[in-house]
Amino acid sequence: MSLDTAPPSEMHGGTPAHHEAPEVVDARQRLGLWLFIGADVVTVGALLFTYLYLRGVDTSGHWNSLLGYRGSLHSYEYWDNAANNGTLKNPTLIYPGWLSSGMQWLVSALTVVSAGVIWQAEKTLRATKNAKSFSSMAIFAMILALVGVVVSAVLLSDIPQVFVAANDSLTMSYTAYDSAMMAIVGSTLGHLVILAFLGLGLAIRSVRGAITGDRWFQARLVRIFWVWVAVSSIVSTLITTTITSVH
Amino acid sequence: MATSEKKSLTGFFWAWGIITAVGVVLSIWLPQRYMPEAMSNDAHLTMTTMILFSICAAPVAAGVYAGALHILRNYRYRGEGVPPAAEQIREHTKLLVTWLTASAILTVFVLVWGLGALASENSNTSSNPLVVDVTGQQWIWSFSYPGSHVQSNELYLPENREVEFRVTSEDVTHGFWVVNMGVQVDANPGTITTIHTTPDKLGVFEVRCEQFCGLNHAFMDAVGYVVTPQKFTSWLAAQPQQS
Amino acid sequence: MTTTLEPTESVTQPRGGGLARRQNFGTAVAGGVIFAFLGWLLARKLFYTGSDNFSDQVAVMTCVGWMIGFWIGIGAFNAPFKWLLGNDNSRDDDLYYAGHNQGRARYWKYTTDHKVVGVQYIIVTMGLLGVGGILAMAIRTELITPGTHFVNQQVYNSFIAIHGMVMILALIVAVAGPWGNFVMPIMIGARDMAFPRLNALSLWSLVSAATLLVGTLAVGGLPVGWVVLGTVADQAGVGMDFFAMAIVVFTVSTTVASVNLITTVISMRTKGMTLDRLPIFVWGTVVTAALALYAFPFFFIAEANQILDRTVSTSFYVATGGGTSWLQANLFWLMGHPEVYVILIPAVAALFEISTVMARKPLFSYRTAVGAMVSLAGLSAVVWAHHMFTSGWAPSLGGPFMVTTELISIPTGIFFLVLIGTLWRGSVWMRLPTVWMFGFIFNFLIGGVTGIYLSDVPLDEQLHGTMFVTAHFHYIFVGSVLFGAIAALAYWFPKVTGRYLNEFLGRISFWLVFIGIQITFGAMFLSGLKGMPRRDASYSLAFEHTNFISTIGAYIIMIGMLILFGAIVTSWRHGEPSGPNPWHANSLEWLVPTPVPLENFDVMPVVTEDPYHFDKEIVSS
Repeated sequence: MSLDTAPPSEMHGGTPAHHEAPEVVDARQRLGLWLFIGADVVTVGALLFTYLYLRGVDTSGHWNSLLGYRGSLHSYEYWDNAANNGTLKNPTLIYPGWLSSGMQWLVSALTVVSAGVIWQAEKTLRATKNAKSFSSMAIFAMILALVGVVVSAVLLSDIPQVFVAANDSLTMSYTAYDSAMMAIVGSTLGHLVILAFLGLGLAIRSVRGAITGDRWFQARLVRIFWVWVAVSSIVSTLITTTITSVH
Repeated sequence: MATSEKKSLTGFFWAWGIITAVGVVLSIWLPQRYMPEAMSNDAHLTMTTMILFSICAAPVAAGVYAGALHILRNYRYRGEGVPPAAEQIREHTKLLVTWLTASAILTVFVLVWGLGALASENSNTSSNPLVVDVTGQQWIWSFSYPGSHVQSNELYLPENREVEFRVTSEDVTHGFWVVNMGVQVDANPGTITTIHTTPDKLGVFEVRCEQFCGLNHAFMDAVGYVVTPQKFTSWLAAQPQQS
Repeated sequence: MTTTLEPTESVTQPRGGGLARRQNFGTAVAGGVIFAFLGWLLARKLFYTGSDNFSDQVAVMTCVGWMIGFWIGIGAFNAPFKWLLGNDNSRDDDLYYAGHNQGRARYWKYTTDHKVVGVQYIIVTMGLLGVGGILAMAIRTELITPGTHFVNQQVYNSFIAIHGMVMILALIVAVAGPWGNFVMPIMIGARDMAFPRLNALSLWSLVSAATLLVGTLAVGGLPVGWVVLGTVADQAGVGMDFFAMAIVVFTVSTTVASVNLITTVISMRTKGMTLDRLPIFVWGTVVTAALALYAFPFFFIAEANQILDRTVSTSFYVATGGGTSWLQANLFWLMGHPEVYVILIPAVAALFEISTVMARKPLFSYRTAVGAMVSLAGLSAVVWAHHMFTSGWAPSLGGPFMVTTELISIPTGIFFLVLIGTLWRGSVWMRLPTVWMFGFIFNFLIGGVTGIYLSDVPLDEQLHGTMFVTAHFHYIFVGSVLFGAIAALAYWFPKVTGRYLNEFLGRISFWLVFIGIQITFGAMFLSGLKGMPRRDASYSLAFEHTNFISTIGAYIIMIGMLILFGAIVTSWRHGEPSGPNPWHANSLEWLVPTPVPLENFDVMPVVTEDPYHFDKEIVSS
């Protein structure tokens, strides 16, 4: 191909700082972010596929039932010892029930509200150029995300166990439904931790002057990702609270 | 700017013809020489398909190979240093369209044949197949004949009667493969998968596990026998009854 | 290889001390080992030792520790935490991290210069191929005659799985890693990639993951088959935990690499580099990266589910709890089929590029070539269940997946048309890259046609799980992708090193490997036709002749590959000097000096046409 040499518009010699306009860099970073969100869409999709497919197959009718003993009644050691001593009564079919819709929606609500806070913070920053107030709003969003982390953790710890002593294995196990929920809630928790990190970063950076009313691109980047997490939270909670039993 | 003169295509077509001929011969010979003895309707169809697809592939492979040979013979630069520029051909619409059309036709043919074969395999011809329950367990196959309360580690089948295998596993996923009958399906724990076929030749056949299932996967074989219906009935009757 | 740009002032220390500047592979390994040990200790304290899952829980925590410690040690967390605290890199920092003025040390560090990353990928690829190759020789040696010889079944079963996964990893990065990184940014006229730090992250994450994968050998192996089907994988020892964690890290590596590659090509092309002037190799890398971005998250979830099954006894793949290995198979193959095109397309795209230069004429039907790669990638997302025809998961879907799979033969056929069409009536320069390209043409046809057999459901009911399948994909991976990768290496070697890859040794290696492949895998087709299942540590007498022949062929391949390795090692420092543009090509990478300056271009080029005009002398080398 022909190489028309462009007129030298940059410094020669030394190590010229090939500064690119912030808009150019930002456009590039937004593209990268959307691509990354694409991968995250597939990840969340795979989690929801796991949930729906397990429910669809319902192997041995055990989408949300297990032959064993209600794990929460005693400690793992107790169950283990009882199984080894042969003192366990006959196992029964345990139906652990569905995870609290209320708590799931609470987590989604926290994600959505915090996304709204971050978005509003960005708009305010661009309008008023007040970095300090942006920082406070970012902290608030971070706190909401952290509350979401706590609620998700509580939800995870609430997932009921069933002690199963079948064939050669003795173990605290979970139904397919509870397994899928563990993965989905775990993923939500992970995303919220990332959001909290990002919110804290925005807060600190705006106080230190790296984010200002004129340099707000990074705030937008974080906002885009935050909104995606909120959307994915709504979609998955919708599915896991409305599509439950197999009938 | 250098141009490369168009070389005669006679050699190319000769090569194409010869390689196609060799390919067709191999297509007919190799499957019959190497594939296991076909003992069911499905296995015969498999063998026919194998031969047919190979015959279809032969002229395609031959065309590509003859083309490569033609290039090596006629268009190799044999001088020193950098070769001169060749004729800067970017498109040849007729060739492209021909190629796309031919490959589409071939694909459709192969598809239609395959879908037809699949449909004929699946059509339930018999309303009263012999049901055999197959259970895989690390690392042994067991067969039970529910109608007669018989269980065995050898697979006896009557000739010319459709058999429906209902396959499951006690532990991990195994692969139930009736080698000489051209059918296989995985044995999964907690579910039953089904295949059926009709044995049409008397003799001994093999069952192998074709889904890796742990330590002794390589040894998870079973032996089977296709026998006359009378022999089958008497064999069944002679087996100890299971509850 | 020092850079040719001199700084006007000496590089200053960054704020925060010189600790960050001392990080390298050594501190990464140290960090990994220390945190692995901490993870191990923590797990033993926290978890109930009587649990069935205890050893898995400890193994996973150990791997998590390794992962985090390695990333800390190599400096991957430096930038995020600097960002958090509002400290941004200065120009000097950026230059330092790009390896400025550090000589060979920069290859051991978290260096952001894409050319350094490209060379690092060459080394990692060779390492993985070496490990996989040793395992291959162990496998073929064991299979020389029926019965058990020098390894027992458990070890053999482990070798085949690790061989498979190591080679898959190696081939995923074999072309896209070195050349997608080193060459592609220069080819589009960019100074670096869009996200230089992600570049370093993808390379070092691969190293961290590969260590865990190879490390399975030390913790009891991986006797489960490389597709780690959920049920049998559940039974395996802690090697399986190492494998699953390796995959978790690996998908991070591929995701960030894909984001980087795609953003670079879309947003950093130089002026005049419109899409229809883009070198075909660049199209190949973008299509591949997009496909990988879509596919690998499925693998991540597949293995994350497996980890949960093994550490806390969830029931994703456990039938008694309502799970099914069909879930694992679906997730795995949703990744697995696109993955083989992630492996194939860069090799084909590199060969397209090479064919134009070696035939001295433009690519035949450029837009069709692009369309074929794009449609191949698109179709590959909807064919996955052809790996599950015999699993029993959805008998009624056999037909539809057969349709989509057979359609793939159309774009694949176009690849042959483009290659042959480019070489036809060319002035074909029979140099080393060209030789390997002809080998590709021969092998890829066989591999492709045999794939069509397998896509036919009734045929697959006979051939699935046999050595026929193994032979098919080895013709593709070894016979085609590896040949493309070696051609790419021979082609771009002069750009990296300033020397030719030894032509004489390269040709000897070619003939040995090529002939060896026909012997090994030709005989393997016959083993499969006869009915030999795959993944068998031992086989019946019926298969002894074909196996014996396959093993002889394997040794021939081995000798050929060792000669090639010798050629690479000797040519790197002592090969015949080539100058910056030995092939008289026109794409931008050949118009910059060798060694390539740190920021590639002094003055940004302006492009007015595609690189396939061989009838004009552009810039003399």
